[in-house]
Amino acid sequence: MLSYIIRRIFQSILVLLVVGLVAFSMFRFVGDPIENMMGQERTQADIVRLRAQLGLDQPFPVQYWKFLKGAAQGNFGVSYRQGRPVGQIIAERAPATLELAAVSGFFAIIAGIGLGIFTAIRQKGWASHFIMTASLIGVSLPTFLIGILLIYLFSVELDLLPSFGRGDVVKIGFWSTGFLTASGLKALILPSITLGLYQMTLIMRLVRAEMQEVLRQDYINFARARGLSERVVNFRHALKNTLVPVITVIGLQLGSIIAFAIITETVFQWPGVGLLFINAIQFVDIPVMAAYLMLISVMFVGINLLVDLLYAAIDPRLRSESAT
Amino acid sequence: MKTLISTALAAVICATAAPAETFRWAGITDPQTMDPHAVNSAPVTSFLNNVYEGLVRRGKDMSIEPALAESWEPIGDGEGWRFHLRHGVTFHDGSAFDASDVIFSYNRASNEVSDVKGWFAPVAQVNMVDDFTVDILTKAPNPIFPDSIANWMIMDAGWAAKVGAELPDKENGNAATQSANGTGAFILSDRQPGLQTTLLPFAGWWDEANHNITKATFTPIKNSATAVAALLSGDIDLINPVPIQDAARLASNDEIKVVQGIEARVIMFGFGHAADTLKYTDDAGKPNPFQDVRVRQAVAHAINVPAILQTIMRGNAEPASQLVSPAMRGFSSTNAARPAYDVAAAKALLVDAGYGDGFSFGLKCPNDRYLNDESVCQAAVSMLAQIGITAELDAMPVRTYWPELREDNFDMYLLGWSPGTFDHEHPVRFLASTPNAEKKLGSWNFGGYSNARIDELLPMIQSEIDDVKRQAMLDEVTHLYQSEHAYVPMYVQPLVWGTRSNIELTQRPDNFLILRWITMN
Amino acid sequence: MTTAKIKRPFAPRLRAFWASDLAWSFRHSPVAFASFIFVCLLTFCAIFAPLIAPHDPFNPATLNLMNGFTAPGTPNAFTGESFVLGTDDQGRDVFSTILYGMRISLFVGFAAVMLGMVLGITAGLVAGYRGGWTETIIMRIADVQLTFPAILVAMLIFGITKSFTPVEYRDQMAIWVLILAIGLSDWVQFARVVRGATLVEKNKEYVQAAQLVGRSGLAIMVRHILPNVLSPVLVIATISLALAIIAEATLSFLGVGAPPTQPSLGTLIRIGQGFLFSGEWWILFFPACTLLALALSVNLLGDWLRDALNPRLR
Repeated sequence: MLSYIIRRIFQSILVLLVVGLVAFSMFRFVGDPIENMMGQERTQADIVRLRAQLGLDQPFPVQYWKFLKGAAQGNFGVSYRQGRPVGQIIAERAPATLELAAVSGFFAIIAGIGLGIFTAIRQKGWASHFIMTASLIGVSLPTFLIGILLIYLFSVELDLLPSFGRGDVVKIGFWSTGFLTASGLKALILPSITLGLYQMTLIMRLVRAEMQEVLRQDYINFARARGLSERVVNFRHALKNTLVPVITVIGLQLGSIIAFAIITETVFQWPGVGLLFINAIQFVDIPVMAAYLMLISVMFVGINLLVDLLYAAIDPRLRSESAT
Repeated sequence: MKTLISTALAAVICATAAPAETFRWAGITDPQTMDPHAVNSAPVTSFLNNVYEGLVRRGKDMSIEPALAESWEPIGDGEGWRFHLRHGVTFHDGSAFDASDVIFSYNRASNEVSDVKGWFAPVAQVNMVDDFTVDILTKAPNPIFPDSIANWMIMDAGWAAKVGAELPDKENGNAATQSANGTGAFILSDRQPGLQTTLLPFAGWWDEANHNITKATFTPIKNSATAVAALLSGDIDLINPVPIQDAARLASNDEIKVVQGIEARVIMFGFGHAADTLKYTDDAGKPNPFQDVRVRQAVAHAINVPAILQTIMRGNAEPASQLVSPAMRGFSSTNAARPAYDVAAAKALLVDAGYGDGFSFGLKCPNDRYLNDESVCQAAVSMLAQIGITAELDAMPVRTYWPELREDNFDMYLLGWSPGTFDHEHPVRFLASTPNAEKKLGSWNFGGYSNARIDELLPMIQSEIDDVKRQAMLDEVTHLYQSEHAYVPMYVQPLVWGTRSNIELTQRPDNFLILRWITMN
Repeated sequence: MTTAKIKRPFAPRLRAFWASDLAWSFRHSPVAFASFIFVCLLTFCAIFAPLIAPHDPFNPATLNLMNGFTAPGTPNAFTGESFVLGTDDQGRDVFSTILYGMRISLFVGFAAVMLGMVLGITAGLVAGYRGGWTETIIMRIADVQLTFPAILVAMLIFGITKSFTPVEYRDQMAIWVLILAIGLSDWVQFARVVRGATLVEKNKEYVQAAQLVGRSGLAIMVRHILPNVLSPVLVIATISLALAIIAEATLSFLGVGAPPTQPSLGTLIRIGQGFLFSGEWWILFFPACTLLALALSVNLLGDWLRDALNPRLR
């Protein structure tokens, strides 16, 4: 097991290097950062000078190498847009995104698994049909539109919830949290629903599908025949065996919650890293884009590692396989 | 743990106890720096006009009025200008203002690494006569020099030295990127780049404060629908801009006021003049029809500007005849007529030029730079199709748009121009002069339009003291570029701000939000 | 004549199909039946849009800007023309634009899902069955892929194709870029789930039996494992088709969608959301409803299909 973990970590580092390489090769296709850094009265000479100063006149492998050297020492460079260290900017923005992702992930998992089990056990009931159909409406519209419609309904028409931002936040050390104020909690409601809705539906449908399948299998029937209660059958036996593919998907979905936060954060002007990234694209802020991508890769690679390890823990048959 | 909770509670109480006169406004882009010499862009100068001040400033009607200089007069026969500085002015940190700060700010702003050094191109020398008198000598007589430095912000020399911000640093930033020490009516109290910036009124301001703001916060909101929602729900007191299509609907809401004006920016189409061949579509490689003035004129007649103003602009914009709007200095009133919308005439011109069967070409357009820019281009495509020429529209964000234009990747393109000096000379210098990197002329003349007479007139205009003679020359220039249809000016972009109905304010044509003119009832 | 000739040999098969379990389940599920009819209807409308639509919104020469913002069913104040579902900011008939837009959306959706599915299933099967380094490499590529949000993939492909395609083809490129971007960001989902299922399946007796008989790896993967891992694939593919159509809308919102001169359903919604507060509700409402109806019926159909195709659920 230990050698497996070590090998996975080594592979993960390789993945990160490749991500960085791909990222750097594509930055020049995003646009020209110089355009946003100077005013309308700039001259060609100014452009050339600034380009040289930023090292943009060098080939991208050289730029990449410089970035790697910095990143290895924990220095992600200085944002072109803000003139501040990128590490500092991301540290400021990360709590907003992580809190949003945590709340919507929690919502998606609890509601998704709960409703999934319910609809699997009560397959034929009208409530199941209603839940299945209603959940589909939520995933049949683009996230940005759902967000805008929620804002329109709950903050403009009903005036119940804030239309944008995080509300008042409280600083605890380096972490700024919205959990401790009423306005901070209110501000979380609409964005987390917007962000979590799709994941919730996906988890729910998957749990239902897998559970239905497991419930038909012989050992469940044996369990029933042995006189075990419905409850034990459903939760001890069926649910446990449902979990293998479900954990894969939940793991992936947690990662994509943070990646998808880009759109929700844009619509709600949520001051997290997703919004930071969208603005970085707009202004071709290469150091911010690079750091964001590295961060997301670290997260995905970490989640994948965890999912694989959990796989091994849940399904003993896989243990020898994954260790090869 | 107890202390943690009590700090948290204290923070909650502080946060909720916001005073009634907190003014919250939102725009699309965050000013990228708090350094007035680092980036010459509208969001930055507009914002910093509340924090820093120049020797002169613009009043509610854009006229130049005294600020840190109480008065000024020309020296000799156009050798330069003498500025008499105001006594008793202090910076936000309490240090006193005098001529050394002006000299320092001149050196800082005209330095190689400054983005506003272009303003000082006409300057030969700056001399400190005494503690409150400064002479600025120009290379040639420069009648509009005081007008051209209204956005030149004066920074405290001592403070800059103390915090290590003697020069602007765009690449790595320094103390002046994050903090500020000006003489203006507001103090920069908190800066969270990209999120929120907070200003507090400056009690020691030299001028009389007419506003009643106790705190002002600026939030950039990227998505315009979100901004409108925030205004409607009362989370924000002012948004700029209001999406033009929402103006009428917002105005009919009792809680909202829509404040409209005409901006300085003229929206126009430009052509590839210098390119010998077309670059796009199936006709790529064929001779460039836009080199023929009749084709350019046909385009001018084909664009139905009244229809664009009626529908896309919802009646909120004025048609434009030349590179500046009538509100600008040097506007040529003798050339105020614009080509009429006339499909028949346009078709006849095309036949005349030998393009009766039409042709196709590439039209480049930004989609996040000007109000409804993409819609306007799309409308132009269908209008041009009606005279038989096919425009292949390629709309893109500004981050790739300028590089494309700079690399001459266009046959025709959309451009908006707002003269930084509020003078007609500005667009003539940038858009109508033959491109010349060395003389810093025509740097935004992407199509390479060239007219020897205009090139000859420009330096004469720049140094002419007599207003009548100057205007005569500008009239001639206007006539030249109009008759050659170098550009097709369409309309002057409107300014549309939306506020809660309890806000009283003054909207200036340069789109600057001046907080000291705001009262909240 | 020819149609009759072709039809005859198929008739018995058709009858056989009609009598099959699948068809039986279909005939007895009103939701599936209605969804199927609806998807067919929309697809039909999309394919034959040029014949059905009263206007051609992709032909700029036929547009009149003064028709802009005409409300549904009421004549325009300037031109007197009237449009069933109104017009948008360019004076385009919303009804016609929806039909044409749906064409693009459906095409992008189908093509992207096919691409993602083929890539994902292949990668997942191979990774799960072969194991070892093959698996490691494939799954690490998947990790890299997951890191890049679809918007970035789209921008990357957009930028690269832009610098490699000749200028005259650039305008047709947007659609293919969308398909590639959505398809590429989709395959990992398939691959991971197929791999997971393959890992379980390959230890089962029937696979080991096939191996003993000496069947080739390819044959085992395709003939034995693939049918048994299709259930989760179908769940994902179902949602993916609807999602690909929606993803296209999202990319459009972020500025890398279909061009506004040839809008897809998503581009129409992106344009329409700008008029949410201005009173021209129809520019958003009708395209959004179409998208909702399309995605919802595809999803419902997929739901039913999954239940019906799964032998263990019957």
